[in-house]
Amino acid sequence: MRFLSSLSLAFKLSVVVSLIVAGVAAAIGGAMIDRDRQRLREGLREKALHLARSVAVIAPEPLIRDDTWTLYKTLREITRGPRYAPEETLVTAMVLDSEGRVLAHLFPALYPIDLPLLPDDSPERPRLQAELGMKDSAVFDGQGFIEGVSPVQASGKNLGLVKVQLSTLELDRKTAEAIVSVLLLSIGIALTGIFLGSIWSIRTLRPLRTLAQSMEELGHGVLHPLPVSRGDEIGQLIASFNRMANELEEKRKLAGELAANEKVIALGRIAAGVAHEVNNPLAGMLNCLSTLRAKSNDPELVSRYLSMIEMGLKKIEALVKDLLIELRVEDAHEVADHSCLEDVRDLIAAEIDPARIEFTWENRLEHRDTINRARVQQILLNLLRNSIQAMPNGGHLWCRFRSNQDELVFEIEDTGHGIPPEDVARIFDPFFTSRPTGTGLGLWIVFRLVQTMDGRIEVNSMPGQGTLFRIHIPREPKLATRPA
Amino acid sequence: MRCGAAILAMGALLALGAANATEAPKKPIRFGLTATVVRENLELYDHWAMYLGNKVGRPVQFVYRRTSREAMEMLETGEYDFSWINSFSYAKYRESKFFELMAVPVFEGKPLCRSYVIVHINRSFRTIGDLESRVFAFSEPDSNSGYILPRQMLSDLGRNPDGFFRHTFFTYSHIESIEAVAEQVADGAAVDSYVWEYLNRREPRLTAKTKVIQQSETFGFPPLVYRTGVDAELRARMSEALLTMDKNPEGRALLTELALDRFITTPSSLYDNVRLNIDRR
Repeated sequence: MRFLSSLSLAFKLSVVVSLIVAGVAAAIGGAMIDRDRQRLREGLREKALHLARSVAVIAPEPLIRDDTWTLYKTLREITRGPRYAPEETLVTAMVLDSEGRVLAHLFPALYPIDLPLLPDDSPERPRLQAELGMKDSAVFDGQGFIEGVSPVQASGKNLGLVKVQLSTLELDRKTAEAIVSVLLLSIGIALTGIFLGSIWSIRTLRPLRTLAQSMEELGHGVLHPLPVSRGDEIGQLIASFNRMANELEEKRKLAGELAANEKVIALGRIAAGVAHEVNNPLAGMLNCLSTLRAKSNDPELVSRYLSMIEMGLKKIEALVKDLLIELRVEDAHEVADHSCLEDVRDLIAAEIDPARIEFTWENRLEHRDTINRARVQQILLNLLRNSIQAMPNGGHLWCRFRSNQDELVFEIEDTGHGIPPEDVARIFDPFFTSRPTGTGLGLWIVFRLVQTMDGRIEVNSMPGQGTLFRIHIPREPKLATRPA
Repeated sequence: MRCGAAILAMGALLALGAANATEAPKKPIRFGLTATVVRENLELYDHWAMYLGNKVGRPVQFVYRRTSREAMEMLETGEYDFSWINSFSYAKYRESKFFELMAVPVFEGKPLCRSYVIVHINRSFRTIGDLESRVFAFSEPDSNSGYILPRQMLSDLGRNPDGFFRHTFFTYSHIESIEAVAEQVADGAAVDSYVWEYLNRREPRLTAKTKVIQQSETFGFPPLVYRTGVDAELRARMSEALLTMDKNPEGRALLTELALDRFITTPSSLYDNVRLNIDRR
C-alpha cells in the first residue's frame, strides 16, 4: 500500500481510468460474445432441425418403396450439400426404421444397412426408443454436437426417424477466438490508455509540481512569481499563488520596516534612559562643583561634596559598565560544557555571607549539554545577584540546572521580598529598578541574552515569600551557532 | 440387359449429306437409351447424336429412361424409332417382333461382355459366396449382368439367392452400383464389365475403391435395335451410319470415347445364352 500511495498521481489516475475503460470494454465484449454464441448456437439448432426435416419430408416415398439407394442419396445430398452443412460441422446423419435399424447412414461402413444402430443393452437405447416414438421434430444438445431429430411419417404413422448431428466444435473455436480477441483488445486499450494517460497527466500536473516547489521556496523566503499560461483551474491556482506570494512579500517588507522602526525607537529609549540616568548625577555633581568653587576653603564641605561627586561618578560608571557588559556578552559565541558554570558558583559563594544566606547548588546537566559560556554565566550572575540583594536579612538561595530532550532549564529561586504583582510586567524594562543604587539594566540584560538564544523566561513571585526565575534555552545547534 | 452402362442411343443417319438438304420438316429421330453411363458424360452423347444426325440427314435426339422396361414400352408404342437396349430385354422381347437387331458394339475385339462381382477394395471377400448376410446392390431386375447372373452364380453354389443377402437394393445404374460399393453402402454389387472397364479407363475415382472378385461367362453385348415399323430407308441410313463409324475419323474418335471398337451385325443367336427364366426356388 505504501508503494501504491507513493506512486505519481499522474500514473495512478491514468492506470485507474484505463483499467476501468478496459474492464468495461471486456465486459461489453464478453456480453457480445455470449450473445453471438447464443445466436450461432440457435442458428446451428435451426440448421440441424431443418436438415432433419428436409430428409424426413423426402424419405417416406423411397422408404415405402424399399429404395435404399435413393434414400441414401437423398440423405447424402441434403446433409452434405455445400449450401447446408460444410463437412467440418456435420458429425453424422442417418435414417432409421421404426425399430431403430439403419436404413441409411452417412458412414455406412461403420453403421451397415439393416442392422440396429445401437445394441439392445446400450445405455443410449432408451433415449433412442423415446425418439422413435416422437411425433414431432426436436433438437437436442449433445456433447460437442447438436442433434436434429425428425420422424418420417406417412398417414400419421411413424415409418422411421431422421437424425442429423452438427458439430459445435467450430462454434466453440470461434468463441474461443473471439474471447482471445476481446482480451487482447482490452489489454491493448489498458496499455495504450496508461501510456497516453500518463503522458497527458504528467503534462497537466507539471504546473502543480512547479507550484509546490515555488511554495517551498516561498517558505524559505524566496519568491518566484510563476507564469500564468492557462485559463483552467490550475491557471487560477497559479494566479492565486502569485497574489498570495506578492501579499506575503509586501507584508514581510512592512514587518521589516516596522522592526527597523522599533529598533530605532528602542535605541532612542535607551539613549534617553542613559541620558536621564547620567543627567541626574551630573546635575548633582555640577551643583557640588559650583558650591565647591564658591566655598573651596571649607574643608568639611569639600570633603562631603567630593564624596557626593564620587558617588555620582560611580553611578555613571556602573551604568556604563553594565551597558558594556551587555554589548560584550551579546557578541560572545564561545561554547563550553556545563562545568564552566562552576565558576559562577565560586564567584557567588564568595559574595555571600554564609551565615545569613544558605546557598544550594544542584547542577544536573549532562556532559553532552553544551552552553554559550559568556551569556549563560552573565544571565546566572545577574539573577543570583538580584536574589542576594532581595534578601538583605538573609534567606535561602537555590540554583537548579537540568536538561531534557529539547532544552536546558535553569532555575534560580530565593526567599527574598518578592516582586509586587504590578511590577512583574516591567522588571525586564531597561532602567526599571526598585533599588536606589540599581541601574535597572540587570534583568534587561538577562532578557536580551535569553532572547538571543531563542529561549524564554518564566517568573514566579510571591511578595514577601520569594521569587523563582526559570529559563528555558533550546539545545544546539541554535545555541552554539546562531549569531546574536 | 444392357451391358454397357454407357449405352447411348445413337441416332442413325445414313450418310447422305446431299439428300438431307432437300428434306422439308426436320422432325427429330428419337433414339432410346437407358441411363447408365449417360449421366456422367452427356456431352459425348450430344456429339454422337450430332454425328448420326449429319449422316442420316435428320436431327437425332437421345431419350433417357430410368428402367429398361420403360424403354421397351417406348419402343413398342412407337415413341422411339431406335433404341440401345440391354441383352436381357432383347432376349426377353425378341419373340414379340416389334423390333429387330440393327448393330452390336464390339468391345475389346468381341461383341461380348460379362458380369463383374465387385467389393470394396479393402474388404477380403473372394467370391460372391462370401457375401452371405451382407448388403448387395443390383442394377435393375431386367439386367443380365446386374441381376440375373449374380443370382445364377448363387444358384450354381447351391444357395437360394432369395434371402442369401441380408439386404439388397436396386440402383438402376451400373455406375451407381459401383458408387454404392465404393462408399460401402453395399458390401458387394454385380455390374456390367463394359461399364466398369469404361469407368476404370476414363475416370478411375470410383473403380479405384472397388475390386472385381468374380466374373461370369461372356454373353452378347447389349444391342442397338430398330422398331419394325420405322421407314426402311431411314433404317438403312441409320444402320449404315453406325456400321461405318470406324471408317470415318470423327466416328473413330467417338468410338474411342465410347471405349468401343466398332459396330457390327451379328445373328441373333448371339443372345441365346441369356437366361430368361429366373429360377426361384
